[in-house]
Amino acid sequence: MMHATPPPGEAFGDFIIETRGLIKQYGGVIATDNVDLSIPRGEVYGVIGPNGAGKSTLVGLLSGAVKPSAGTIVYNGVDITSMPSSERARLGIGRTYQIPRPFLDMTVAENLQVALYSANPLISARNARNEIEATLSRTGLHGETDIVARNLPLLRRKRLEVARALMLKPRLLLLDEVGAGLVDSEVTELIDLIRAIADGKTSIVIVEHVIRIVRECCRQLTVLHIGAKFAEGPTTAVLADTDVAAIYLGTAHSRVHAQKTDDRPAPGEATLLPPAGAHAGEALLRITDVAAGFGQARVLTQVNLDMWPGEAVAILGTNGAGKTTLANTISGAVRATSGRIIFDGKDVTGLASHIRLQRGIAHCMEGRRIFPTLSVEENLLIAARHVAARECQRRLDEIYALFPGLNSRRSNPGTSLSGGEQQMLAIGRSLMSKPRLVIFDEISLGLAPIIMDKLYETLRQLRRAGLTMLIIEQDVDRALALADCACVLERGRLALSGSSSEIRSNQHLRQLYLGEGD
Amino acid sequence: MTINITKIAETHHAGIAVWAGPVIVAAFAGAALVPNLLSDYASQISFRLMLYIVLAEAWNLLAGYCGLVSLGSASFVGVGAYVLVGLLDGAGFPVAPAVVIAGVAGATLAALISPAVFRLRGLYFTVGTLALGEALRLLMINVPWFGGATGLFLHTEWPSSQELYFWALALLVITEGALSIGTQSRLSVLMRAVRDDEDAASQVGVRAFRVKLGAFMVAGFLMSAAGGLQAYKLTAVEPYGMFGLQWSVDVLAMVIIGGIGLRYGPVIGAVFVVMLGELLADYPELHVAITGVILIIVIRFAPKGLAGLAADVGRLFADRYGQGQPA
Repeated sequence: MMHATPPPGEAFGDFIIETRGLIKQYGGVIATDNVDLSIPRGEVYGVIGPNGAGKSTLVGLLSGAVKPSAGTIVYNGVDITSMPSSERARLGIGRTYQIPRPFLDMTVAENLQVALYSANPLISARNARNEIEATLSRTGLHGETDIVARNLPLLRRKRLEVARALMLKPRLLLLDEVGAGLVDSEVTELIDLIRAIADGKTSIVIVEHVIRIVRECCRQLTVLHIGAKFAEGPTTAVLADTDVAAIYLGTAHSRVHAQKTDDRPAPGEATLLPPAGAHAGEALLRITDVAAGFGQARVLTQVNLDMWPGEAVAILGTNGAGKTTLANTISGAVRATSGRIIFDGKDVTGLASHIRLQRGIAHCMEGRRIFPTLSVEENLLIAARHVAARECQRRLDEIYALFPGLNSRRSNPGTSLSGGEQQMLAIGRSLMSKPRLVIFDEISLGLAPIIMDKLYETLRQLRRAGLTMLIIEQDVDRALALADCACVLERGRLALSGSSSEIRSNQHLRQLYLGEGD
Repeated sequence: MTINITKIAETHHAGIAVWAGPVIVAAFAGAALVPNLLSDYASQISFRLMLYIVLAEAWNLLAGYCGLVSLGSASFVGVGAYVLVGLLDGAGFPVAPAVVIAGVAGATLAALISPAVFRLRGLYFTVGTLALGEALRLLMINVPWFGGATGLFLHTEWPSSQELYFWALALLVITEGALSIGTQSRLSVLMRAVRDDEDAASQVGVRAFRVKLGAFMVAGFLMSAAGGLQAYKLTAVEPYGMFGLQWSVDVLAMVIIGGIGLRYGPVIGAVFVVMLGELLADYPELHVAITGVILIIVIRFAPKGLAGLAADVGRLFADRYGQGQPA
């Protein structure tokens, strides 16, 4: 038995890097949960998973940027668990960042010199130049040697990230979301580049949301979900798996929701809401041809959206589609570069966000944004300044009735709460100003399913009470169960919109998330 | 637009930066050679100017090239000053080795505190170094050694202003040599990588701690040596002045006004601030206020300082009148 031949590709020493029981905890949140990963030498290996699955944390753990709470990492037969990132880089582990981090005030050539000179300060000038030129032409950056990295557009910056990592002559290359934010033709270029790097000696780990890259580059995949390994195997089999589709689309909980999908008020429940579809009167929010972006990156290209009072609208879309930018543009955190935003019949396009809040647009921002130095109650009160004390108390009581857990911890610091409670606090804070429209941005992000259920039950209550809400959510199924209608954002424009049931049954949605059949 | 300006400033200054060291040294050396040019007043001003250039160059090496914005310059100046007085008075050392040992003391201080302050990033590092300077000052005031709050007096013969001029010139030569090596060699690539993104730098194999430590020790050496010369000139040291926050703030103001991260920045800034100080010598309060206003204006309208502004203007002229020439 001891000499039994292991199955092909499984022989000892055939893995470039292996992790055993890898755990990373941030406070109470487990980002990486007991992950055992074995990356075959010379392979291009894919790691996928929905937002908050712990993919970037995994890249950090492998590259040394993040220290594990427990577990071991063995690279090329050496235990590197406690090795700092600079030493790992010198052993040949290169990485790129999800958001490119070139050395901004240095030229492209200097960016590459960093790796070269730190490993070999005495390399001859000619060899250095040759190596840099070779890498630049390999990554399609020739002719940009003397451009300062700050002036490069996104795709070039991504190429520079890869080029910089290649200067290490890596034996293991970790590519963190290299496809994010790129258009189709750019993704094609990127796939060609990855294929060119994969020479059989360089092992590559691709952590990716853009499924097309994974599908075309990787033979094997691991799926992460809430920090843990959810599935692994050959790419085609994993992508065809219904359970994997379910964690992307959130249908893992569909059985629970099936019974209470219908959230229309029961006939006895007296509300003044117009029935969905028959829009009476004027739109509460009217967005016309809105575009927005940051610097050179145009995130929203042309968005049109109407919302009627009492309506719940879900905004769906993959990472980088522009969901959060849309939310920020409506609340005023980001200025629209063109187009108009009409709220309650008045143009608010040029107004600052605090004025919009006074007009009735509240924004429950992604990532909760709890003020750490304020107590729970102070966090709530800050959204209701200039409100009479008695009215304030009344609103506080309402919030505490909605979230009894907050009441008992009202004098604790805001960030001492658990993730779920912090999210409740963030929701409560957005309600303190008695808004007419609330934007909920990714309120279920990184929370346990049972907590998500609770939060969504609260939203359902609010909806029944007549609150107009815009829900941005990666858990497609939950969002569709709550909303009247939904819009799907794709690369900055609305690709699809309709009633929740129409969207739910639309094949295009699945394609968008899992990239099937394009 | 601002992005382009940055780029122009960077590329434009790269070509002439090579000459920075020789030009600065030649200016002061040349002034000394012309007879009668160095009156007592002129040589005293020049001494102060050179000392400030040394401090500003050292600070720019840290902040401009390594991203270590320090408010702890005073601690190095103070340590250098006290060490020099101790060596001259207590141990009877000649000046030259005493200044060098004062510098070594500064480098040692940098090495000793680096494990603590390098744990802090960005503003926290700045505040950490500020705390160090203040702590050292309070220590020197309150401990009974080193003369306490009264300080120490130098009992050796007072140096002439010409002698001081040549010591400062010697230190300036060392400083410019170190800076030329530090900012034009391969080391500068590593330092700027750490400045731009320390984490990303270590992900491509840069041992960030060592790079920062090297720069910190060199800057510490230069600052303490300058502090030693200042003590030699004053012939008396006391904690309020030698460990005073004014050193840290003045040096920072000079480099920001001159142009942080630019090779000519510290010199231009030092000349500007020292000249301003002389012009407004009779109105000390006004001097401080005007320096503050200028600092605000520069940060708002010329983030790359006077040197960056000059480079932009130069580039503008080159574009307008030199279109026939290759870029």
